[in-house]
Amino acid sequence: MDGSWSALIQQAFGLLFSFDPEVWSIISVSFSVSLAALLITLLPSMLLGFTLAFNQFKGRWIITNIIQTMQSIPTVVIGLFAYLLLTRNGPFGDLRWLFTQQGMIIGQMMICAPVLVALSQAAFTSIDRRAWETARTLGVSWPRAVWALCRELRVPLLLAVIAAFSRILTEVGCSMMVGGNIMGVTRNMPTAIALETSKGDFAQAIALGLVLLILALILNFTLGMLRGKAQPRSH
Amino acid sequence: MIKLVATDLKMQFEHRTLFEAKHLHFCQGDVVHLRGDNGSGKSTLMKILAGIQTPTQGKIEAQGFQPGPWWRSDSLLGKALYLHQHPYLYDGSVEYNMTYALPAPLREQPDIKQRISESILHAELGHLLQQNATLLSGGERQRLAIARAYIMQPKLLMLDEPTSNMDKDSQQLVLNMIAKLKHQGTGLLISSHQSCELTQLCHQEWKIAQQQITTSANVTSSYQPLSTIASSQSEQTKQEQQYVSAN
Ligand SMILES: Nc1ncnc2c1ncn2[C@@H]1O[C@H](COP(=O)(O)OP(=O)(O)OP(=O)(O)O)[C@@H](O)[C@H]1O
Ligand SMILES: [Mg+2]
Repeated sequence: MDGSWSALIQQAFGLLFSFDPEVWSIISVSFSVSLAALLITLLPSMLLGFTLAFNQFKGRWIITNIIQTMQSIPTVVIGLFAYLLLTRNGPFGDLRWLFTQQGMIIGQMMICAPVLVALSQAAFTSIDRRAWETARTLGVSWPRAVWALCRELRVPLLLAVIAAFSRILTEVGCSMMVGGNIMGVTRNMPTAIALETSKGDFAQAIALGLVLLILALILNFTLGMLRGKAQPRSH
Repeated sequence: MIKLVATDLKMQFEHRTLFEAKHLHFCQGDVVHLRGDNGSGKSTLMKILAGIQTPTQGKIEAQGFQPGPWWRSDSLLGKALYLHQHPYLYDGSVEYNMTYALPAPLREQPDIKQRISESILHAELGHLLQQNATLLSGGERQRLAIARAYIMQPKLLMLDEPTSNMDKDSQQLVLNMIAKLKHQGTGLLISSHQSCELTQLCHQEWKIAQQQITTSANVTSSYQPLSTIASSQSEQTKQEQQYVSAN
């Protein structure tokens, strides 16, 4: 390693605050891909979580277990799966989405959805059945009744969103395999850190690492504040 | 005529039969007292009629209601409003809970506004409007739940032990609101395991005993223990006093 630690860190801050175009392009790829994946999966995942929590039907148990398992599959394996789907000869090869942001979004959606479904199912299971019954018997429509539950469960549901988002924003394996780490197109923070470190260019890696670290801090403090506010109800 | 008709109703929980009934009519204008011991299935029957629980057997038809949109045309939900024995209140102000079920544009209509302020007045919740509803006392919660139902102007309303755990004043408030609803022609089904002032409003009785629901006309008014007569007299004098002080 050439240069001392302090020099490296100074360089890293320099890159961030001089608005180095390369660094900021990497950051923007990260956020646009992960936000897109999150926003696309959010509503369907929550609705599935709600359905699994509130309805007794055949196959519920097995779906729940599959989703639980999917949460713990390593992201490289999901990346491999997405790669096989998107490769030229694969079932979705005609889309030409391999090594594009669309491909990365698909991969991250597969990582994000199980987390959202499992955590929102847990949240919806925890609510008092009367919350649902009250809304429905008062004549409130189905979507508005679901919305009322989401409002009651805003803390655990927000926790689910934050957990899912931080998982896809920080994962390396899937982005590397499906995105291909192309500068300006598919290079995001985790893949850039991996590459720059292997090249020995630590300043950029540290700069991006700092961004992830600060983000993790912000998200976790938000979580902590929300958890702190949530109180058990007496009725 | 607006009514719910249940035929060949049967409810079981894991092979344990809770109750059976050949025919049940619950019509607008009816005021029915639903009797039965603890665990006989009063709450369950009401939930079935409200459409939030499905019976093991039998069907329930809603007749005479305005046809809803096609996707909920065969649903019982929202037809006979059910008030839980222990009402659920949403995390939010008392005011939010009261008007929650009204679609936002309706809240501004003058007649609905009138109805809202009426129900606030009757339930004596005016001083609590901005308080978080989850912090209310048991009696206040019950009053809020009834006010919330009152605003919806239901054709049929089912009240599950509405005055249990209430002091005399709150009971009187609830009694007045229910009497008002009766006067407006709302069909009422009131469960209570004992006779009280509330059940004296009823002119029909449904009784769950030995797993059967039997219906009969006007039993409660002939069956009136001395204590309730005495207390209703004292209520009357109290009302007169209120009347005097209001003038
Ligand atoms: N979902 C359920 N699964 C199994 N058993 C149930 C269920 N719901 C109610 N029961 C049983 O059905 C019986 C009737 O319950 P219900 O709440 O209708 O009684 P109730 O007449 O309202 O009693 P109370 O006067 O105490 O309010 C009880 O023994 C209860 O344990
Ligand atoms: Mg009950």
